[in-house]
Amino acid sequence: MGVRGNFGRILLVELRGSAVAVERVALPEEAYRAFVGGVGLGAYLLWKYGPPGVDPLAPEAPLVYALSPLLGTALTTTAKFAVLCKSPLTGRISDGLSSSRFALAAKRLGVDAIVIRGALDALSWVHLDEDPARCQAVPCPAWAGKSAQELADMAREQGLFRHVSAIGPAGERLVRYATISNDGRHAGRGGAGAVLGAKRVKAISVRGEAVAGVADPAAVQARARSLAARSAGAATEKYRAIGTAANLETFDRLRILPRRNFQAVSVGPAKARRLAPEGLAQAGAHVRDSCAGCTIGCDHRYGGTRIEYETQFALGPLLDVDDPARLLAAAAECDALGLDTISAGGTLAFAMECAERGLVDWPLEFGDDVVPWLRKIAAREGLGDLLAEGTRRVAAAVGQGSERFACHVKGLELPGYEPRALQTFALGLCVASRGADHNRSGAYQADLQPGVDRYRADVVRAPARVIESEDHAALLDSLILCKFLRGAIPEPWREGAELLAMVTGLEFDEAALRRAARRIAALRHAFNAREGWTPAEDRLPDRFVEEPLEGGAQVRRADLEAMVAGYHAARGYAADGALDERLRRELEMDRWLADSCPLQAPGRLG
Amino acid sequence: MVTVELFGLPRLRGGASRVEVPAGSLGAVLRALAEALPGLAPDIVRDGRLTEHALVAVDGRDIVDDPALAVADGSVLVLISAQAGG
Repeated sequence: MGVRGNFGRILLVELRGSAVAVERVALPEEAYRAFVGGVGLGAYLLWKYGPPGVDPLAPEAPLVYALSPLLGTALTTTAKFAVLCKSPLTGRISDGLSSSRFALAAKRLGVDAIVIRGALDALSWVHLDEDPARCQAVPCPAWAGKSAQELADMAREQGLFRHVSAIGPAGERLVRYATISNDGRHAGRGGAGAVLGAKRVKAISVRGEAVAGVADPAAVQARARSLAARSAGAATEKYRAIGTAANLETFDRLRILPRRNFQAVSVGPAKARRLAPEGLAQAGAHVRDSCAGCTIGCDHRYGGTRIEYETQFALGPLLDVDDPARLLAAAAECDALGLDTISAGGTLAFAMECAERGLVDWPLEFGDDVVPWLRKIAAREGLGDLLAEGTRRVAAAVGQGSERFACHVKGLELPGYEPRALQTFALGLCVASRGADHNRSGAYQADLQPGVDRYRADVVRAPARVIESEDHAALLDSLILCKFLRGAIPEPWREGAELLAMVTGLEFDEAALRRAARRIAALRHAFNAREGWTPAEDRLPDRFVEEPLEGGAQVRRADLEAMVAGYHAARGYAADGALDERLRRELEMDRWLADSCPLQAPGRLG
Repeated sequence: MVTVELFGLPRLRGGASRVEVPAGSLGAVLRALAEALPGLAPDIVRDGRLTEHALVAVDGRDIVDDPALAVADGSVLVLISAQAGG
C-alpha cells in the first residue's frame, strides 16, 4: 500500500501452550477508507476474526488493539489506541479507548492493529517485537496479583520493558468488568481485561522502530501547531484547569446527578462541594498531568489517584458516599485491581438496594466503605464471586423483581447522567451498541441546548440528534482524537477529512467520512445482531419509566419505544437486526460483512 | 435582583460561585454580570451574549440564549460550561 500514516497490515497473534506465533496480514486500502482506524478498523477486525457465537472468554475469541493513522504524528491527543472484544459482561461489542505511550510503542511494530487469539497454559508476559523471532511468551507466576502500575514500575526498574498494557488481579480472575491498564489509564468497559485474563496474558510489551510517516509533513506540522494552540484555549479550559470532577457540582445543581442506584437525584450543594475538586483536594494533594502527546492536560490526581467524573459519581453519590477520602480510597482500589469504576459502583449500588429492600441478607448498605468489597470482587471471594458477574447477572440470581431496578442496558451499567432528566440521552442509552454508554455518543449534550425540554421525549427529533452524536463520536474514535478536543474542532467532518488526507495521502471528503461513520455504526449493529441482539435489549430498566423523580419526571415507555423505533428506522435497521437494502447498498456493507472467514493458524515468520 | 450561580469554567473565570445583578432582559443581565465579574469577558460573556463556551439555565432547568428574554426579579440563572459532560 502506497499510503502513509498506516502500514497496510495487521499483526495476527496466536497463543497456544507456551508459544506465540505471529503473522503479518495485509489489509486492502479500501479497509482504511471504509473504517479509517481506531474503533472503526477494530470493529471490522472483530467482525472478521471473531467466530460467530463465540464465548467471549474462549481461546477463539479475539482481542483487538486497533491503532490509527494519526497515531505517531505531532497532532495533539492522538497517542491512543482502541481495544475491542466481544464483551464478557454484555455479549455485545465492547470498544474502549486508552491514551498511553503503549499506543505509540505499538505502532512502532509496523502494524495498524494487533489481533490476539488463543490462550496460553500459564499466566504469562507476552512480548511482541518488530522482529518476529523475538516475539515470545514468558510465564510470570510471580506477577499474579500485581496491579498494572506495580508491574510497570517493576519492569522499568528491572529493565524488562518500558511500555506495557496489563491487567490487574480482577482481569486474572475474569471479573466481567475488568479493565486493561496502560500508563495508569484504563480501557475496556465491558471486560476486555477479563478477555486478556482468559488468555492468561498478564502483560503485553511491544518493541519496534517502524515509522509510518505522513504524506504531507509540512501540512501536518502546521495543523499540529494550530490544534495545539486551540487546545490551550477556552474550549478545553474546563478539562485543563479543573477536570471533569467539576461536573459533579454542576450536575447536582441541574438535578441530573444520580444517587443511590438512581433512586433519586442530587445530594445537595454542601455534599456536592465536598466531593468537588475543592473537597477532594482537602483529602488528597492535587497534581495535574497529561497523557502522552497531549497539550490539554486533563489528568487531575488527588493523593495520587486520578479522578474523573464517572468515577466520582459511581463511587460517590451512586453509593451514597459523601466522604472524599472514602471516594479516593475506592478509586485507588479500582485502579490497583483493574476494575471499571462505573460497573463496580453500579453493581455495588444495585446490591445495596437489594439488601435495603430485604431481598437478600447481604451486609451491604449505602454509604459503606466499599474497598473490602472491591477486593472480594477482584478475588471472586464469597459474595464477591457473584458481584464480579455484574448487575444483570446479580439481578438474575436475586430475582424477586429486582430486575426492575437493575440499572444497566444490555448488561452495561449506566453512567452518571439521570435519563429521566435528559430524555434525548435516554434514547442514546437504549441504542448504544456497547450498552449504557455516555462516550460512544454524547447525547446528553443535545439535551442541554436552548429550545430543548430535557424532561420531555422529543419523539420526532431525538433520533436524529442521537445519530449525529454517535457519528461524531465514531469519527473522533476512529481518527483517534480525544473527545475533550471537540470544542476546539468546530467543523469535525471537514477537519477530519483534511487530517486524513494530509497524513495518509488518501483523498477523503466530508461525505465519505460521514459514510464511514455510519458504516462503523452499521457494522457494530451487525456484530451485535450476529451475536444475538434483539430489539428488546434497547430499553431502559423499569425504574426509569415507573418511578418518577421529584416533580414527576419520568420517561414514558411509549415515548421511549417510539424514539427507539425512530432511531432504528433512521439508521436503516430492521426489527430482526438486518440492515435494510438501501443502507447495505449505500455503505457497501455486503462487501465487508462477507469478510468473515476464520483464518488458519499462523505460522512463525522467518 | 437576579441571582446568578456559576459552575465549572464560568466560576473559574469569574472567580465567584454566586452573584446578584439587577433583573432585566437576559442580555442586560449578562452585561451586568460581566461588569460584576470582569474575568468572564470576553470568553464567557461578550456583548451581552454567552459565547460558545458557556450555557445558562433558568433555575437550572431550561437552557436559554435569547438576549431579549425577560429575566424576572427573583429568578436564578445557572451558568455552566458548554462542554457539560466528561
